[in-house]
Amino acid sequence: MFLFAVSIDTDPELLLARILDGFRFGSGYGALALALVMIYKATGVLNFAQGELALLGIYIAWALGVGWGWPIFLAILVSMIATAGLAAGIERTVIRPFDPSNHLPLVIVTLGLFLAINSFVAVTWNTDLKALPSMFPPGDVFSVGVAHLSWSGLGIFLSALAMLGAVNLLLAKTKVGLAFRAVSSNLESAELVGIRVGPTLQFGWALAAAIGTLAGALLVPELNVLDPNVMLSTLVFAFAGAALGGLDSPKGAIIGGILVGLIRSVVVQSVSFIPSELSVGAAVFVILLVLLVRPSGLYGSSKVVRV
Amino acid sequence: MRPRLIAEGSSTHRWIQGGNWTLTIVVMIAIPFLVAIPLKPTLFGNSYTIGISNVNEAIAWAVAVLGLNILTGFNGQLSLGNSFFVGTGAYLTGVFVQTYHWSYLSTLIVVIPVCLAIGLIVGIPALRIQGLYLALVTFGLAAVFPSIAKLEQLDRFTHGSNGLSITSKLLPPSWMPIQGTLDLINKIPIIGDWTGTDHFSKRQAEGIYAYFLLVMIAGACFLLAYNLIRSRPGRALIAIRDNEIGAEVAGINLSLYKAGAFGVAALLSGVAGTMLSIDKNFVSPDDLGVNFAIFLVVGLIVGGSANLKGSLIGGFAVIFVRQWASQTNEVPLLGWGLSGPYGQMVLGVLLIGLMFVMPGGIAFGMQRLRQRVYRVVPAGPPEGRTDD
Repeated sequence: MFLFAVSIDTDPELLLARILDGFRFGSGYGALALALVMIYKATGVLNFAQGELALLGIYIAWALGVGWGWPIFLAILVSMIATAGLAAGIERTVIRPFDPSNHLPLVIVTLGLFLAINSFVAVTWNTDLKALPSMFPPGDVFSVGVAHLSWSGLGIFLSALAMLGAVNLLLAKTKVGLAFRAVSSNLESAELVGIRVGPTLQFGWALAAAIGTLAGALLVPELNVLDPNVMLSTLVFAFAGAALGGLDSPKGAIIGGILVGLIRSVVVQSVSFIPSELSVGAAVFVILLVLLVRPSGLYGSSKVVRV
Repeated sequence: MRPRLIAEGSSTHRWIQGGNWTLTIVVMIAIPFLVAIPLKPTLFGNSYTIGISNVNEAIAWAVAVLGLNILTGFNGQLSLGNSFFVGTGAYLTGVFVQTYHWSYLSTLIVVIPVCLAIGLIVGIPALRIQGLYLALVTFGLAAVFPSIAKLEQLDRFTHGSNGLSITSKLLPPSWMPIQGTLDLINKIPIIGDWTGTDHFSKRQAEGIYAYFLLVMIAGACFLLAYNLIRSRPGRALIAIRDNEIGAEVAGINLSLYKAGAFGVAALLSGVAGTMLSIDKNFVSPDDLGVNFAIFLVVGLIVGGSANLKGSLIGGFAVIFVRQWASQTNEVPLLGWGLSGPYGQMVLGVLLIGLMFVMPGGIAFGMQRLRQRVYRVVPAGPPEGRTDD
């Protein structure tokens, strides 16, 4: 039986190749997880529509970059701004009217957004396979045998770190960042000291959408496919990364995402009895394990509830 | 206008109840004969279809929504992973019918215990994981199902991403009075014209037989749910939803009931999967992913959470809204034509819209409407007695 024949590949070159692969995809997952964390931190809601918002952004970037022939940098920048604006609008129209402390209706609304945006993309750009060009030059930084570090791999990793740095800087040094931290730490007290909670949360949604779009635009060229379902498994990996890092820690999101990427490409590929089709299953297993053993993840703050 | 008050158990109340039941049964028997040859009403230049296969699919969905309703509506555990159980049921039926040549109904012997067991196994970690986190884990469960069904090791049974087609047919037994009922319905003046035929082909007769089979199974499931909700365990489930700590203090065994709710939900979902296989004779792994699970949530909210009638409405709403949206190509007042998978978008918008205007769903709205006409109130003390 295949279940009992456990063997682990130990070829060092292959292992290095897989580790590099893990970093490449993991940084992308981490970046999307960062978007999830921003919304969770602010509102306590898991945004199931985050992946689809990013999908919409990717398609806008594709339409501008491939369809209209804009430079890909500019196309992605414009699509980030567009999805940020859209997310701000969504927050104002369908999220804010609900009681922010009752999370389940909000999650159901994000599920509705998931369906609506996914279908909107499929209707507008049809379901044919497309390809989004990479922002980074082709070729490798270095290669050892089968292991090679491509410019895009390095680029994604550095971009993810840069996003984390920018978010941390924004939260630590700007006024809106201060308001954001106040709201995420205690919504009622923040309101009492005169912070306008609504616009602050709106800012969080817009920022998260922009981050998610960039994460998607980094990741999709590596996956080599662009169709309306591309963000679904990515979203599960990102959720796993966010859960592993701690759902309210930006640093944890990036680290958790990279760890999930490593689990996906090193553990799942190297251990023979895990079929590689089940890499999404590995991500779900990570989520389950983290929530059971340590719900606050690696870097998250543990929640103390008064009963 | 003040609603008319009707005492519970009075003869008027009994008449209304009896009338409702008679009407329901007559309509249920008549429906398959009217739609076996699909009706094609036309509205604003769009042609819509109401066919027996959609009705059958909607009945199966109603049972799946019912499963989610027990878990989410009555017990308050939001699950986005019920498609996993539906898929398990659908595949088990498909594999046992196709590979081992069992009859469709006998596969329930396997589907029911297996899905119950899987549900209980999933329910155990769910004891520690609550609210949004449970939604997250079950979302992952839904996302992983298609890749399990496509596993190479299972290819022999599931035929991978091509999907599993089941060649075995459901043949209506000879004692079933399909022709007789058709003749009877054709004699009714206006409605009789809707059947559109004097004699059903073999395929149409199969559809009608499948309909009655599915109605029987669904009836059993709804009866089970009805009895469960009105009994002691059902009240425990509702108490846990309303106040978990309070329920625990009142002596309710949380672990038992919460895991049990998962088990019952999985059981009903698995049966719904079997019903889908009966209707479609085909199981496709990619249909049983996250979207399926979210459509179930749509059915739950649109129909009415914590409302058994709502599950029925929700099942029909998901199937027919999706289909009719895809058949709407011309919209009046809109300059351009529509094409593509609009159904999903309409369902998404419907989900958000109903969360705003009618969080209780259509069933609740209908109840409110009915209460404007008449209201059933508890019977007062018997007439002619004075307490002094």
